[in-house]
Amino acid sequence: MTQRNTLATNEVDLVAVSVSGSVAHPGFPGLPAEPYRLAADGSAFLLPTYGGIVYNVSVGDRAFGWAADCIHPGVSIGQADDNQNRGLNVFACVGNRARVMAGGAAGTTGVVTGKSGRFSEQVIVHLPREARTRMAVGDQVLIRAEGVGLSLTDHPGVSLKGISPRLLAALPAREEEGHVAFGVTAQIPAHLVGAGLGLTSEGGSLHMQSTDRELLAELGLDQLHLGDLVALEDTDSRYNHGYLRGAQAIGVVASTDGPRAGYGPGIAVLMTAPTGELGSFDAADTNLVQLLGLED
Amino acid sequence: MDEGLRWNFDDLVEMAVTGSVSQPALRRGGYVHRPDGVGEVLPGMYGITYNARVGDRAFGWAGDHVEPGVSIGHAEEPADFALHYLTCIGNEAEVQTGLANGAKGVVTGEHARLLVDFAPEVLEELTIGDTIQIRSLGRGLRLESHPGIEFKKTSPSLARAFGLRCDGGRVNCPVAMELPPRIMGSGAELNSEFVDQDLMSGDRALMAELGIDQMRLGDLVGIRNVDHRFGRSYRDGWVAVCICIHGDSVMTGHGPGILTLVTGPPELLDFHLDPTANLAHSLGIRDMA
Repeated sequence: MTQRNTLATNEVDLVAVSVSGSVAHPGFPGLPAEPYRLAADGSAFLLPTYGGIVYNVSVGDRAFGWAADCIHPGVSIGQADDNQNRGLNVFACVGNRARVMAGGAAGTTGVVTGKSGRFSEQVIVHLPREARTRMAVGDQVLIRAEGVGLSLTDHPGVSLKGISPRLLAALPAREEEGHVAFGVTAQIPAHLVGAGLGLTSEGGSLHMQSTDRELLAELGLDQLHLGDLVALEDTDSRYNHGYLRGAQAIGVVASTDGPRAGYGPGIAVLMTAPTGELGSFDAADTNLVQLLGLED
Repeated sequence: MDEGLRWNFDDLVEMAVTGSVSQPALRRGGYVHRPDGVGEVLPGMYGITYNARVGDRAFGWAGDHVEPGVSIGHAEEPADFALHYLTCIGNEAEVQTGLANGAKGVVTGEHARLLVDFAPEVLEELTIGDTIQIRSLGRGLRLESHPGIEFKKTSPSLARAFGLRCDGGRVNCPVAMELPPRIMGSGAELNSEFVDQDLMSGDRALMAELGIDQMRLGDLVGIRNVDHRFGRSYRDGWVAVCICIHGDSVMTGHGPGILTLVTGPPELLDFHLDPTANLAHSLGIRDMA
């Protein structure tokens, strides 16, 4: 990992605190025993979905084309108790260090790479592929949570959301008076912003809709990779996610595409500003793998 | 009704479902947050709303997600889902208990509870907990002449009252206004058989520019480039016709609730503007201002 910018922050004032979760078991709705979900065209599908230890999908891999519904790469963790899970989901920041505390991979370190939202409130952790083979569902993972309260000293209009100081320092950035821009791999137009709108922006994810495949191909959005930094146009994510002309949100692709209407790759939003204080520029391959030096 | 439209009214099954008048409920803390983070405590959801009725304005209330009329639910979850999935807009409701026993109303929306309109004098006699029974009818509704169009929560009485007309091969529906798909927000994560999707009113200048801030509760609205068949998502060309079921919200990503009634491809479904296209008018609930 290299420091790509020298943006002033209040990092010295942040409090680092432990949050933990255990590796979540994949789940399906209960009786009646219909495990199907509905695709946007109305067809029933049965595919792997979020949760668990995912052996063969990692940050850096393609976000599209998997036979899956919004898969979380690597390992997904959660807490059984709602309040405690909320603490985990809100305080864990992308780029935070995670450490396996129990089981066959005890002692292995990893990195928080995303979060997911309504119906699947989990934190997504990258761990090396080899370590994943030694893990079990239920293993405890501890996160050094650091980043809630982080701000850009010279850009008070930019709200930071669930981003660690480490990741912030690694982002390609351009700073001008009263404006800061970050490098992203893609711009997502407002009409493709979907599930997650109106829900909290202090955790969870906001999905890019992928029902209109032709449009995605036209815009090149079907080439996204897990871990890519992306910008969401006209999106105000200060307090919930919603539409506002001139606003911008920047996030990281945290989960894969899926067939449900309103859904597509899940994006963990990292920062936002309502009126043009925040911008973005094209920077191909701006991905967590390089930014955080993720070990395969 | 247009002669070119053939419905399957005779095949529909009519069943009773009940709910009881809900008590307003708040989360601990009680605040909802404006886009700049300022918190407010506001009324609007659940219960008996005495002074906001279908036909009234959707914007400008000192409230949040204002549900017009009476909001009912069932305490038992599976029964509550039946109430949600079987009830259609325009279904007849009747009070089964209390001082208003026997009073008739009509279903005008579905939020986290079913929304039922009663005359103002009936509201005075109702109490929280009163049982309301609905004759649910409309699930399975099809337009035999246009099987490619899908109807959601549309009762036969609403189907007749819509003012749908057959326009060549296309069905054309009057709507009070059109909404751009980029402002369709909260509810994108849900299936389109369950409740509504809020329009996002956070860009207040845009609401005024497009006249969306003139929306009334019960207005029919049209949206282009969305497919609302199995969830709600962006799809080039497709069309949805919806109704406004609840009032505006201060929260980012929220706003008046837009419930899907009809959706289909552009070669089969279209809409045209008609300022009188409101449920209160179409169903003869009340005179419009």
